[in-house]
Amino acid sequence: MSIIELKNIEFGYGKTKVLKSIDLNVEKGEFLSIIGPNGAGKSTLLKTINNIFDEYDGNISIYGKNLKDYKRKELARIVSFVPQETYLDFEFSVEELIFMGRYPFQNRFKTDTINDYEICYKAMTLTNTLEIKDRLITQISGGERQRTLIAKALAQDPKIILLDEPTSHLDINHQIEVLEILKELNKTKDLTIITVLHDLNLASRYSDKLVLLKDGKILKTGSAQEVLTVSNIENAYNMNVVVELNKYTNSPVVIPIEAKKRKKNQLFPSIHLISGGGSGENIISRLFTEGIDFSVGVLNIGDSDWQLANSLKVKIIEEKPFSAIREETIQKNMELIRTKDIIVISQVPIGYGNLANIQMALNAINEGKKVIYIKNNAFENIDYTNGAATKIYNELISKGMIVLNSIQELIDYLENYKNI
Amino acid sequence: MANDKSKKSKAFIIISLILLLIVIVAIVSAIGSANISVLDVYKVIFSKVPIINRFIDTSNISNVQYAIIWNVRLPRIILGILVGASLSVAGTSFQGLLKNPMADPYILGVSSGAALGATIAITARLEYIKYGFSSITLAAFIGAIISVFIVYNIGKINNKLSTSTLLLAGIAIGQFFTAIMSFLMVVNSNDMSKIVYWTMGSLSGKGWAPIKTLAIPILATIVILFFYSKELNILLTGDEAAKSMGVNVERTKRVILVLGTLLTSLVVSVSGIIGFVGLIIPHITRLIFGPDHKILLPCSAIVGAIFMIVTDTISRTIISPVEIPVGIITAMFGGPFFIYLLRNKKKMV
Repeated sequence: MSIIELKNIEFGYGKTKVLKSIDLNVEKGEFLSIIGPNGAGKSTLLKTINNIFDEYDGNISIYGKNLKDYKRKELARIVSFVPQETYLDFEFSVEELIFMGRYPFQNRFKTDTINDYEICYKAMTLTNTLEIKDRLITQISGGERQRTLIAKALAQDPKIILLDEPTSHLDINHQIEVLEILKELNKTKDLTIITVLHDLNLASRYSDKLVLLKDGKILKTGSAQEVLTVSNIENAYNMNVVVELNKYTNSPVVIPIEAKKRKKNQLFPSIHLISGGGSGENIISRLFTEGIDFSVGVLNIGDSDWQLANSLKVKIIEEKPFSAIREETIQKNMELIRTKDIIVISQVPIGYGNLANIQMALNAINEGKKVIYIKNNAFENIDYTNGAATKIYNELISKGMIVLNSIQELIDYLENYKNI
Repeated sequence: MANDKSKKSKAFIIISLILLLIVIVAIVSAIGSANISVLDVYKVIFSKVPIINRFIDTSNISNVQYAIIWNVRLPRIILGILVGASLSVAGTSFQGLLKNPMADPYILGVSSGAALGATIAITARLEYIKYGFSSITLAAFIGAIISVFIVYNIGKINNKLSTSTLLLAGIAIGQFFTAIMSFLMVVNSNDMSKIVYWTMGSLSGKGWAPIKTLAIPILATIVILFFYSKELNILLTGDEAAKSMGVNVERTKRVILVLGTLLTSLVVSVSGIIGFVGLIIPHITRLIFGPDHKILLPCSAIVGAIFMIVTDTISRTIISPVEIPVGIITAMFGGPFFIYLLRNKKKMV
């Protein structure tokens, strides 16, 4: 029986979408792990299920009732949450903290009942926190703290428990200890567990079902055997891995080999980019991600395009900071341009200092090279040379320079280039 | 929370503090230029209580002494108790709510709003008294409420309260109002000393009138805040954790901010701006009694009350017959004592 149903969930912080069309069903008594690289939206998904972010699109139902129709206390009696970072720098005792979990069952004017004691002491027994109950939470170890937080979640007497990376910052013995406790609760109490885990092998070993997230989308849902395949992991994490079967636990084990190397994409033509002042940043990063062979120049050292290209180890023809392009640099740049198939110009403001750059583009088009101009804003003035730049541009256009409106158009053009 | 033993010890702490307060009330009312004994103070108090007064013999107390105790010292002490308790409870609630050790009752701009209101009343020479309140008190209260209203609305983004925006808005509005107040002071330099005195805070010469009107709303607000101690405890674990535990975080924050600010506005409009009490008493009580608001709030109320009446006694006796604004004394004595505690017990909030 599905007790949690997510239909087409979309959620974002501001404009950036963190979760995209998430569909997920969770069965009663399931141990589900959410895995995926950093920034994939794992914690966000977990918090959305707990109605901490209430501005999502789509529909979430828990036990057949729309999440948005639950009152906070009512939801807290069914679902409890163990957050990743809990500010515990105040001196409550372990016992006091665990008793806070009884809040959703309590009236403002009443104190703890026998029932509250029974449930809390049971939670402490199950998590081995009874012997540390009088210690202050500021003075216990990471493993004890995590067990205390799980005990607090159990004090809510939940049917579903959500955990955000319960094993991070823990030693391996405490990682196993925490997951063993969760597995035990899952088996004996029929507690539904949804946890975010970083460690693929722990997830593989303890979960009934895995959800692999990448860029806010579910890449794969299923058993460990189904999700932890070489192609899925390589796709999500951009890693070369080997997957073996662990002969001790009989679960798949992922062994990372190395981060995938960027291969030069031979299908694309080679490019020389003329940009500057940040006008080429998006083009540089896109050409880089597509694996296209390209160079940039002439750029002044320290220019923002220079900084990006330099950090990506792209070939740059550079000029001293804030200086006009010198004759010898022009020679070097022209030699490089002659080895490339296409010259791309971004919408860079042209002054007397970098006028030589477009002059070189004109030379190149005269030598039979293709020149492409990428326009991003038709109304922006880029000519700071009293018309000299405009004159060159007009000449370029008359000689067949292609004007495109976006980087995507450029990529489309490059994809079809060999066919042309 | 927790077991019976600790519950008993908590009750024990609170009862001891109340007894301490009662003893100190009598001691401080006996201190002063007029020669009055502690026993006489109790006699006067109990002579006002029905039934018990049949057994009290006040024949040895002269009418003058009786009047000093009943009409001068006791109302002043009770006002001190109300002011001290209110500022401490508001400060404790705000520090817990915002998880910010620098928070005090004035973070939402109550002090500067009240000061500006009072300044306007003083410079405009509004001589108006109703229900025992001077025009200065009324203007201060209105100023405080207006300032808080502005700060609160700036801090509310998309119907949610942003703590940092709230704190910054409080500072900005505070500076703005203080600037207007300073301007008015410069323009009306004749009133300057009166305004400065008001802003430094004092409990002198108020009589029973403000107590009669304010005691019930103040006590009621304090009691309501006590009933939010569970939420305040849970909020210490973080907003998201509190939400997942079933706390309606937004509503709780609103309620506590509004009640704490109301409490502060009520007392500030009568007593002027008494600084430091609402900042250090919460810290001191937290250092001594721990972070649990169930015990922290009542204890800080009582400790705040004791601190207030003791410093007020010092303010009216230290260079008698000249009276020093009590705000000066609270800062003079509170500051070093607080630093001493910090150095000795290096743990905060």
